Amino acid sequence: MIRRKLSLAAAVVTATALTLTACSGGEAPAADTSKISLMAPFLEAQPPSADGAVQQKLEELTGKDINITWTPNASYEDKMNITLASAEIPQVMVVQSKSPGFVKNAEAGAFWDLTDKLDEYPNLKTTFPEVEQNASINGKVYGVFRARNPIRAAVMFRQDWLDKLGLKAPETTEDLYNVAKAFTEQDPDGNGQDDTWGITIPKWGALGSNSPYDIIEEWYGAGNRWTEKDGKLIPSFETEEFLEANRFVKKMVDEKLINPDFATFDGTKWNEPFFNGKGGIIVDVDSRVSVLINLFKQANPNDFENKVGFVGNLKGPDGELHAHPTDGYSGFLAIPKTSVRTEAELKNVLEFLNTMNGKEVAALLNNGIEGVNFTVEDGKAATIKPETAEGKAVATDIKSYAQLGTNVTGNNFYPVKQASDYEQKVFDKRVEVMAEDLKSAVYNPAAAFVSPTYVAKGAQLDNIVADARIKYLAGQIDEQGLKDAIKLWKSSGGDKVQEEINKLWQDSK
Amino acid sequence: MTASAVDVKAPEQAPPPAPAPGRRRRFAVHFAHYKWLYLLLLPGVVYFAVFRYAPMYGVSIAFKDYVPFLGVNGSPWVGFQHFEDFFANPDFGRLLGNTLILAFLSLGIVFPLTIVLALLLNEVRLSILKRTVQTLVYIPHFLSWTIVASLSFLLFALDFGPLFLFINNVLGTDIDFLSDPAWFRPLIVLQEIWKNTGWGTIIFLAALATVDQDQYEAAIIDGAGRFRRVWHITLPGIRSTIIVMLILAIGQMLNTGFEQIYLMTNALNRSVAEVFDTYVYFVGITQGAYSYSTAVGLFKSLVGIVLIFGTNALAKRFNQSGLF
Repeated sequence: MIRRKLSLAAAVVTATALTLTACSGGEAPAADTSKISLMAPFLEAQPPSADGAVQQKLEELTGKDINITWTPNASYEDKMNITLASAEIPQVMVVQSKSPGFVKNAEAGAFWDLTDKLDEYPNLKTTFPEVEQNASINGKVYGVFRARNPIRAAVMFRQDWLDKLGLKAPETTEDLYNVAKAFTEQDPDGNGQDDTWGITIPKWGALGSNSPYDIIEEWYGAGNRWTEKDGKLIPSFETEEFLEANRFVKKMVDEKLINPDFATFDGTKWNEPFFNGKGGIIVDVDSRVSVLINLFKQANPNDFENKVGFVGNLKGPDGELHAHPTDGYSGFLAIPKTSVRTEAELKNVLEFLNTMNGKEVAALLNNGIEGVNFTVEDGKAATIKPETAEGKAVATDIKSYAQLGTNVTGNNFYPVKQASDYEQKVFDKRVEVMAEDLKSAVYNPAAAFVSPTYVAKGAQLDNIVADARIKYLAGQIDEQGLKDAIKLWKSSGGDKVQEEINKLWQDSK
Repeated sequence: MTASAVDVKAPEQAPPPAPAPGRRRRFAVHFAHYKWLYLLLLPGVVYFAVFRYAPMYGVSIAFKDYVPFLGVNGSPWVGFQHFEDFFANPDFGRLLGNTLILAFLSLGIVFPLTIVLALLLNEVRLSILKRTVQTLVYIPHFLSWTIVASLSFLLFALDFGPLFLFINNVLGTDIDFLSDPAWFRPLIVLQEIWKNTGWGTIIFLAALATVDQDQYEAAIIDGAGRFRRVWHITLPGIRSTIIVMLILAIGQMLNTGFEQIYLMTNALNRSVAEVFDTYVYFVGITQGAYSYSTAVGLFKSLVGIVLIFGTNALAKRFNQSGLF
């Protein structure tokens, strides 16, 4: 007891002394620089354990006592907002998007403005400044963004069906229609029954969610959220191409080339109809190609190589390729001012993040521990076979730890060596196709801009159009109804959003 | 029941000794005399103070522009701004309509069905059958809404759900129950009947057990059939219970069941599905508009209070004892 009191007193004295020397820190006691707390989402069934091998290695490499609050991805946004309102705020928070909740807090001064600070750190000085801008709030950088491939859109189809029907892989949206029609009507699985359809679409319908609708609209030339027209930015759903694209999708819905339950179909079951031979096409991110191949491989390791085919973005009816890019990031790591109070503490946290993005830690977060779950072969990370229990645990854990990676200077870790030559070939082709599509990418010109009206009620506004789009496709309303919804968007506050976005756009030029 | 009533009354019969002068002194004597009763009251008071009244200070954010970082006290006041926005919002009429319709459907269908089920169970003479059925109808209450929603999705799934196929084959129709806005409310009410009517019978069955059995005998001698007995003896016998339960149900009426509705909502039926509770979640929690959604929630509570007082007054008017 006495000893505890003494050590407490000692701590207080040291803390006071530190505060005095730090001076600018005011009444706040300087934090223990050997400790770092983070909050991050996890996408696996279980969060990694705090005494796992990856965590230990991470603490060893960074020299910090690291405390990570893992939060389920599905409720991350809720939890983040609640955490910000609480007293226990971590020093680094993964922020998944520029949600209204985040923007409001940031503008009230909840997070450090890092605009001029990141350049001092070699691993945080980004090699993609345009993506950093996209992730900013009107030019103010509030976090280290988590880089993602900008081009991810792909069309995946049942290669065996395509071969059986003697068709070619689609190159244009017109081809997509023809393949979908053939998959629906020409009995591609050869069971003599009319039990297949073309494209499977899940219920994701929000605007700007990289849903199949968004992607097809972009291919038609509607633009990416915002489109420049006559020297002004207009929302992409106000273009004629938006209506054309949706007429095209509606035609496919009406001809039953799309799963009839597209408005209610659960996105987590997206692979099932493809794998079970019901729906032969998926329009989604290209990483799904590997997931699909793996499904077939697990079912039959001897016969999986001709099941999944894919192509990148498709040419629109105008013959041009308008490739659909993301904004190039998936959220960012922000630093709350409540938990990191002084410039000195901030420096400590940024140095930590700098280490996190260095070669060693990046390899740990993304590849795992060399010699435990992977070895380096020809500069690639190859999984050690047969997998040990230890290796498996590491492989599972890094799926969550990768969420902490930012890779703002490019990927500092090893590319993964695919399990077989076939899979390596597919992987290399994916990289090649995506690199080619990147040249034709049509970006969102307003990605960096945050309009106050949009923050206040943008999501409700967007729902008006997003719901109308689904209703139109399902036949609940006609095209006039869709146009009326767009008008309602404008009159309910959309006009103001547009005005604000245009002003920010003009000012940034 | 009776025993505790006597206990409580006992001190009253013996008035506090020697009324002392001065109000404070009188209170002290009064307090000393009844101290055990006050002690009994204490846990309840503490519970309400800590868990019900203290959090109410958070309601003040309905009149502020709350930013978590600034805290409840640090956020600027904006007066009735959020209420004005809400009432001027085109969603307002729709939300109020959807909430009230679902509430009245639940009150008008589920509530009477609970009583009917209780009456039916009461008429079952075979004790083992009665108990078995009772247990069986309680079970759905213990399943979460997530399971109920999943079951509905399976049963009504487009093109292969058994109920989807059965109903559409019998009627010769092509109804997609899960996305057709016209079927949203019937589905919600059906789920609620399935899940909650059985559990709701408990209190009515208890009330039914207190009805004087002699009256039935007299009625049988007078030649009254089963329905006459139910109508003239059973129902009047549990009338006061029904009234109390009704007032309580009306107080809860606007709590339309967030989980159930949230899980059954999709883009095609949102126009009829969105209610205050889901709206508060969507706007408040997922978009971080805490102040606005608190204002919406506060409005909902006000409507609830008006409904409770209204029903209570109505019940008193018809010579029934109200709740308070």
